[in-house]
Amino acid sequence: MPDNFESFIQQHRDEFEEQGPSPRVWGALEKELTNQRKGRVVLLLQKNWFKAAVILVLFVNAGALFYFTKHKQQQRQELAVIAPEMQEAKAYYTSRINEKLEQINAYPVSELGLDSTARKELELRNDTYKALEKELKNNPGNERIRAALIRYYQLKLDLLDKILEELQEKRVTPGHTKKQYEAEI
Amino acid sequence: MKASASNLNQTQIAENVIDRCKKGDVRAFRELYDAYSAAMYNICLRMTNNVSDAEDTLQEAFIQVHRHIHKLERDGSISAWIKRIVVNHCLNTLRKKKVYFEDVDEVEVMTEEGVDEAQHTWTVAAVKSAIRDLPQGYRTVLNLYLFEEYSHREIAEMLGITESTVKTQYMRAKEKVRQIVKQQNVTR
Repeated sequence: MPDNFESFIQQHRDEFEEQGPSPRVWGALEKELTNQRKGRVVLLLQKNWFKAAVILVLFVNAGALFYFTKHKQQQRQELAVIAPEMQEAKAYYTSRINEKLEQINAYPVSELGLDSTARKELELRNDTYKALEKELKNNPGNERIRAALIRYYQLKLDLLDKILEELQEKRVTPGHTKKQYEAEI
Repeated sequence: MKASASNLNQTQIAENVIDRCKKGDVRAFRELYDAYSAAMYNICLRMTNNVSDAEDTLQEAFIQVHRHIHKLERDGSISAWIKRIVVNHCLNTLRKKKVYFEDVDEVEVMTEEGVDEAQHTWTVAAVKSAIRDLPQGYRTVLNLYLFEEYSHREIAEMLGITESTVKTQYMRAKEKVRQIVKQQNVTR
């Protein structure tokens, strides 16, 4: 049972309360909480250093890839800028050469009479082409190289035309062997 | 609504404040602080007996609250939890100041027999002043029992002394307050 003193305290309990703390307390607390958050990020990195390292490596790789791609695109753009007429010629001849190559490739290998080295030489981007293209990039204003590249395209087209003519003379149609053709007629 | 230590249980905070605090939302923590800081500051002030220590202790306690709020269970009492953290910090502050809570010989226990309470004219100011003048050990026990409403057993656990020592020190503290108030009445 409460005595006189305890009863007095209970009856006047609220009067014993003082004002709250000064704003200084929250100011200091807020600063501390901000530091705590920063500290937590560092702690998290320390705990997961391996994951952080992997993420860093992936990030660096992605960056390098991005730079490489960008650089490549820039190179292509540069070629188109420094020799626009050659770019047009390249587009035209490439399209025609590829068209002929498709026709030739439709014939059975046995009917072509060409070994793999020869067939590879027929491809547009052979060693000669690559060397000429490289020279052009290094010397875009050199007329001799331009002329040589155009000549290369023309010779390649001529060669492919001749091969196609020969195949037609043998009366072999794409997808048929000579024996099949003879059997049909 | 700001809480005083006496109406702490009725303090209302928005339901999602705790969840937001758990997610590290500083604005939510500010809401929590605004709701409880006044009541907790009063505990610190009563326990440490000076403004500077009270504010420092309050700040440390709320840092602890912020750090451990994720441990608070959904249906746990936030006010009781914060209060316990604050009280523990107050006790740590006192221990740093070399305040010891020692067991006493039960033979020395004083009784209230013969105390004529009617002769005391209690006033809030007089009692406050008398409590401030108590030896630290007595004041701690009296505050924890009378103002913070912990049981003798709980106080014994907090201070690491026996329950009977707590009871003895409380009796002595009350007697001391009576004497100081009586003295104040005489000198007026």
